[in-house]
Amino acid sequence: MKRMLSVVVAVALALSLASSVGAQQDTLAKVKDSGVLTIGTRTGSPPFAYVNKNNEWVGFSIDLVEMLVKPEVQKAVGKSIKIEKKESTPPTRIPLLSSNAVDLIAGTMTDTPQRREAVDFSLTFFYTGAQFLVKKGSPIKGVNDLAGRRVAAQQGATNAKIIREKYPQAQLREFPDQPAAFQALLQGQVDTYTNDGIQLYGLKAKAPKPDEWDVVGDFYSEEPYGMAMRKGDAKFKAAVDAGLRNGFESGKYFEIYEKWFGPKGELPYPMTPQVKAYLLKQIGK
Amino acid sequence: MADVAIRFKDVSKWFGKLKVLSDINLAVVAGEVVVVCGPSGSGKSTLIRCVNGLEGIQGGDLVVLGESIARPGVSMSGLRTRVGMVFQSFNLFPHMTVLQNITLAPVKVRGLGAAEAEKTARALLERVRIPDKADHYPANLSGGQQQRVAIARALAMQPKIMLFDEPTSALDPEMINEVLDVMTDLAKDGMTMMVVTHEMGFARRVAHRVVFMDEGRVVEEATPEAFFAAARSDRAKEFLSKILSH
Amino acid sequence: MNYQFKWSVLWSGQSGVWLLQGLITTVEISALAWVLAAALGILSGALRTVPWKPARALATSYVEFFRNVPLLVWMFFWYFGVPPLLPRAIQDWIFNHGAEFWAGMFALGVYHGARMSEVIRSGIQAIPRTQFEASVAMGLTTFQAYRLVIVPIALRLIVPPATSESLNLLKNSSVALTISVAELTFQTRQIETYTAKAIEALTAGTVIYLVLCVGIAAIMARVERRFAIPGLIARGG
Repeated sequence: MKRMLSVVVAVALALSLASSVGAQQDTLAKVKDSGVLTIGTRTGSPPFAYVNKNNEWVGFSIDLVEMLVKPEVQKAVGKSIKIEKKESTPPTRIPLLSSNAVDLIAGTMTDTPQRREAVDFSLTFFYTGAQFLVKKGSPIKGVNDLAGRRVAAQQGATNAKIIREKYPQAQLREFPDQPAAFQALLQGQVDTYTNDGIQLYGLKAKAPKPDEWDVVGDFYSEEPYGMAMRKGDAKFKAAVDAGLRNGFESGKYFEIYEKWFGPKGELPYPMTPQVKAYLLKQIGK
Repeated sequence: MADVAIRFKDVSKWFGKLKVLSDINLAVVAGEVVVVCGPSGSGKSTLIRCVNGLEGIQGGDLVVLGESIARPGVSMSGLRTRVGMVFQSFNLFPHMTVLQNITLAPVKVRGLGAAEAEKTARALLERVRIPDKADHYPANLSGGQQQRVAIARALAMQPKIMLFDEPTSALDPEMINEVLDVMTDLAKDGMTMMVVTHEMGFARRVAHRVVFMDEGRVVEEATPEAFFAAARSDRAKEFLSKILSH
Repeated sequence: MNYQFKWSVLWSGQSGVWLLQGLITTVEISALAWVLAAALGILSGALRTVPWKPARALATSYVEFFRNVPLLVWMFFWYFGVPPLLPRAIQDWIFNHGAEFWAGMFALGVYHGARMSEVIRSGIQAIPRTQFEASVAMGLTTFQAYRLVIVPIALRLIVPPATSESLNLLKNSSVALTISVAELTFQTRQIETYTAKAIEALTAGTVIYLVLCVGIAAIMARVERRFAIPGLIARGG
């Protein structure tokens, strides 16, 4: 009941913040005045955005803002600006944006049609999809091998919804958080855990014996990560998208990707040709 | 001389460091009615509570109906079916009717059939003069009626010995006699009884012997006539003067 | 407020079925856990008052151990900690046959048994010691005295606190969602995820819990009147 209460409070807060925003804000004008672009990002989602061992707030998403978006915004406002970071979690990020506390969400936010009703999204800067984490040698190779298997998922996740609706022969077990679901996989309560591939690679790396685990299967759901902005601010969106587009065109984006997800990066997650094609298709290539 | 029903031999008992019974030597023969009296704290209640094992003894020996109860491993449950006890506070079970109170032990301990137990119970209620209260709950009875039910409940086990621990002390004065009358009937029928009481009239009329206790010791033992006419000890004289002046 | 209420999400699509399934699971897990909690509570509550020290010590350690660790931890204990003690084949079998439900049921029952124990103990201690003496003086054994006299009286005395403890158990059954038991709170969250209508889903869940609690309180009040000890003033509740 306490948990339900806190959800109610969060919802009420979100509603009041959302309704308090009157006129649309021109973000570029605001940044020009203050000389600061405030981004909402994460502190514990390596390698996208996290506080590292040296107590520095870094990550792939933050680098994209610093190296690709910032130059374009500076060009648009005609002066040098500073990037400020604020913590924003899934329940707070949209309210923070709506209330002007932050100007841009750059973390691990999936671009979905429902969210597009509330915010605008930039070009997709990372693309993942639901896969399966299994013990090496498991008969589960993909979404078509689930009949009679015990499948763990995170409650409320898109992939749990897909499994329930399209693969009812699977025994779905939904856990409210990732550690419990992963524990269930480690101990054999379930045969596989399904989530975004990038999350599964992260878990595999943290497992007691990473070599015993495999991430398998084609993406059976799409999780494109985008940067979120206040709805209807076309000039600001144009600047953000231009920054990302330049990154794709110049290859700078792929250098940053390599730094974080390459073989020597924080979390090796090789980019598949399928994903590369998807990203480049956005800029017409 | 008749059979000895209860024999205390050098019985001693402590509550922690406090010695509450000191070297008690006392014999009660079958069919005898013994009234135990004395000031409060003299150990008289403790004395009779030893007889059915509600209190254990630490020194000496206590033989009840031919069996030493000081020996380890003796069956208290078996002993207690032969020794009935009536308490100052009645202690009827409030969630049961009068009839259920009386038949509980005969059915559960002696394995009597329900019908037979009920027949006995109704006869006992007749004997304690409240046959019409069988289906009432204890809370709906007066104190005197409750205590008579408690006597009937103890008698239902057909005990050889009855212990009474201040059976009238919690009663309003007008109810005392109805309980004493039942006890007098019982004595006339030849029941072996040990009665802790301040009712000196009852002692005078019914008891075969009066035992006076003080500070955990038996100070005097005498027939009621001798005790009331000429108590030997100063403590007994003082006690009697207080109690009889009321 | 520019929030658009849309109560129809509660009966359109699968929401109604989910709520019903959640309700059934909540009632099932709570009822079974309640029986377990009552049995453990009566047993350990009685043992804590018997004149035999090892039994008291055993019962006391059960109570202190289980009620002083959060329920969430017990959920994980029964789900993650207990199965590895079993042979692999049995583990697989129970994982395929509702291990989540049974782990949740044991966690809830054993935890609330420890709390129920305190209620029962206080009930027994409210009964004068002389009731016990009168019972054994008639020849009843200690066990018979507890079974026939002490516990039946205690149970009648503790209906009001036992009712509130039972309601706590019902509400705490929602913690089982952490080990994937699809009970009522789980299903209201599910509806929220599907429809993004948080207020409607939470309201539905709250109303169902409320109806269940009021229903249980009403049943317990009837039980209390039915088994009231004549002459004892019934306590409010």
